[in-house]
Amino acid sequence: MSTEHEILVQVKDMCKNFGVTIALNHVDIDIRRGQILGLIGENGSGKSTVSSIIAGIQPPTSGSMTYKGHPWSPATALEAARGGIGMIVQEAGTIGSISVAENIFLGNYEPFKTGPIINKKKMVAEARKALDKIGVEDIDPSLPAGLYDMQDRKLIEIAKVMYHEPELIIVDETTTALSQKGRDLLYKLIHDGAQKGKAVVFISHDLEELMEHCDKMTVLRDGVIIDSFPREQFDPEDIKRKMVGREISGQYYRVDEDGYSSQVVLKADCITTMSSLLCFSMELHKGEILGIGGISSCGMHELGRALYGLEDVVDGKVVLMKDEKVITGAKSAFDNGMGYVSKNRDTESLELNASIEANIQSTGYKKNRLFGPFISPAKEKSYAARQIETLAIKCINGRQKVKAMSGGNKQKVVFGKWIADDADILILDCPTRGVDVGVKASMYQLIYKMKQQGKSIVMISEEMPELIGMSDRILIMKDGRINGEFFRKDGYQQHELIECMI
Amino acid sequence: MENTKENKLPQGTRKLGVMDHIRIIRDKPMFPLIFPLTVLILIIAGFGIATEGGFFRKTVLMGVFNQALIIATVSTAMTFVFAAGNMDISVGSAMAFSAVAGVYAYNATGSVFFMVVVCLVIGVVLMSFNGFIHAMFGVRTIIISIVMMQLYSAIVSLILGPDTVSIDYGLCRQLENAGFRNISFILFFVFCMILFHSTSVGRKLKFVGGNARCAQQTGIQYKNTVLISFAVAGLGVGLSAVFSIIRTSTVGTTLGAGMGMDVMLAVVLGGMSIFGGSRSNAYAGLLGAVTVSALNKGLLMCDVSPMLIQGVRGIVFLILVFLNSERPATLPSAQD
Ligand SMILES: Nc1ncnc2c1ncn2[C@@H]1O[C@H](COP(=O)(O)OP(=O)(O)OP(=O)(O)O)[C@@H](O)[C@H]1O
Ligand SMILES: [Mg+2]
Repeated sequence: MSTEHEILVQVKDMCKNFGVTIALNHVDIDIRRGQILGLIGENGSGKSTVSSIIAGIQPPTSGSMTYKGHPWSPATALEAARGGIGMIVQEAGTIGSISVAENIFLGNYEPFKTGPIINKKKMVAEARKALDKIGVEDIDPSLPAGLYDMQDRKLIEIAKVMYHEPELIIVDETTTALSQKGRDLLYKLIHDGAQKGKAVVFISHDLEELMEHCDKMTVLRDGVIIDSFPREQFDPEDIKRKMVGREISGQYYRVDEDGYSSQVVLKADCITTMSSLLCFSMELHKGEILGIGGISSCGMHELGRALYGLEDVVDGKVVLMKDEKVITGAKSAFDNGMGYVSKNRDTESLELNASIEANIQSTGYKKNRLFGPFISPAKEKSYAARQIETLAIKCINGRQKVKAMSGGNKQKVVFGKWIADDADILILDCPTRGVDVGVKASMYQLIYKMKQQGKSIVMISEEMPELIGMSDRILIMKDGRINGEFFRKDGYQQHELIECMI
Repeated sequence: MENTKENKLPQGTRKLGVMDHIRIIRDKPMFPLIFPLTVLILIIAGFGIATEGGFFRKTVLMGVFNQALIIATVSTAMTFVFAAGNMDISVGSAMAFSAVAGVYAYNATGSVFFMVVVCLVIGVVLMSFNGFIHAMFGVRTIIISIVMMQLYSAIVSLILGPDTVSIDYGLCRQLENAGFRNISFILFFVFCMILFHSTSVGRKLKFVGGNARCAQQTGIQYKNTVLISFAVAGLGVGLSAVFSIIRTSTVGTTLGAGMGMDVMLAVVLGGMSIFGGSRSNAYAGLLGAVTVSALNKGLLMCDVSPMLIQGVRGIVFLILVFLNSERPATLPSAQD
């Protein structure tokens, strides 16, 4: 059909500058009906910037767009949504303190108003419809969004975007926030959309995922379109090379068979939490990378929080074996050499309004003392500068605010503050969320280096390849229990692990 | 939707909106110094003209200075509380309370030292109490302070009745001229600056104000941090009570009225966000305090009715809060 490939949105010669940062440099993109267009590129290459401009979230510095053949310059995201362009944003986009229904119709309450009064019942009913439309049943639209976890909140955002029945659906780095079930739901939505002649822009760092679902892929690097490939020409090596602009060599995951010490450093002793763990026990050894996998609701994220003292442990205890110290809260965990990377980056791991430096320095108030309680500015400066350099954090300088960074670079800041902290035990909950392949590789190297230094790492992850590639031992959880234990020395079989999950 | 004018501009010359300009200016490193100075100069010049030079009389300027010193003491201490995202408007009545106690202490013992100690202790106790209730029960600090403001001033009225209490006028002039007051202020200010900027206290407060949950995960306990901020605020309140005694030698029930507002105004005039977080500092209140007391005095001299003065201050405050704050609605904060 000819309408299938009709151009829906055209971006012409678009530039976007943030102060001295050039985020987009003369970008041209055609988005066609019936097509799923993949956007791929390193962290900070401009993917979110260009798509948020299309979706009316911010204006371009220069350049123009057309939509359905007419000039397009939406002033707000709501205007764009009403016009038929919806974007599921990379960052957390729901407000916890208001209800799910209010989130779905945020800024769009008119249809439910009689005079100044909002008909809550009508709104909740309509929200119910919006959720049903994307096939989500177990979210109650009348409850505050804050009651739901990240995955569910992302689904709420998806419902919000899909409610307007967009002609163009933009999915920005959403899949990493979802478990397999959520992902399947999203894949179905975009394929259905494309089938019906709508257009989709799909942003992800997971090349395999893009190769599987996209009809066309466009590579961005430093704000410039490097190349575009139709589905027939997808070649992972070529795409990676185009992304980073050089040959990626060397190993991605670790290749060694190094074991770990038999000395136990951290022990969960029959811990029970309010929500999901019931008399859960595990041990972590010195120099061990312990992978924890399962489907999202299996309790593995709660386990991470409980180990770090963030979840109320109602029975049993988490003990640091070194001096039999019982973890009673995040402070005791932190003070005793533990670190924690939360899955909820923007709400828990970063102070967005503070600078990169301030965020990294937050783990070093004690270490950067000059004498007594006094902090040495020079020590602090180099404490942060070291991480910015080793992790190649893309920024103007260390004083840049974290909120003005791309998603993957934010994650590097989080990682950096814990590397700087030099913690003995690190609990990592989805540590490589939203980072590009190059950065992922260097994070894996850093994790491996920490292991070699005798540090212990718990890596909670929804990415099977990452667990298999990095762990000395993998615990698969199901319904708050350990459903299987696997060892690196025996070799991992992916299908065994997956069977164990479900 | 026919918006193609942007295309005609060459690259990089999109016209910036008003808010963009405000943001750019505000993020300049010198802003916290330049902004309050500019406002101060404008206000002084304005009143100078309006009063045909009357504003520059020595007694007027001294009056402005004396009031500014008291406001600056409280607001410097209160920046600790604001930094963590909290507010407290009971500082005026807490100050009156400790001043009354101080006067009684002096009159009972005749010891200036004892008077100062009593003022400081009462100040710290009262403000820590506010902070403690917040930490214990999680009630918003602004709500607590509204209640406490009533309570503290009720106690003061109960003690004083319609009367005032006073101490020896000569002693007060002596303390004022012997530099006791100015030196104490400078010491206190330096103390606050060091505590805020050279130890972890200020950093933790800013962090808590910016994202309490993230702070918690790096081992910062909200309750302890906030209690420290209220204790420092209490020191400031106690010291300003001493200064108030010295200034007037008499303490009545009206002492400290409007102080809560003056302090907030001073802090935002100093270029700090009243909602705390990363842009907080310990010096915002200093120049702002001079501006506020100049504003108060000037409006009074221009025969503006006290009611209208309140109104003008309110409007200035709202504008400044709007310009200075950037609290994203989606982030968790201390007030959540
Ligand atoms: N509000 C902002 N202020 C300043 N710079 C910004 C802002 N938003 C983005 N940038 C910069 O623009 C560039 C492109 O960012 P963008 O978010 O589009 O990257 P991205 O391709 O989505 O990366 P990621 O994969 O990490 O999400 C980055 O260098 C980033 O630091
Ligand atoms: Mg992005």
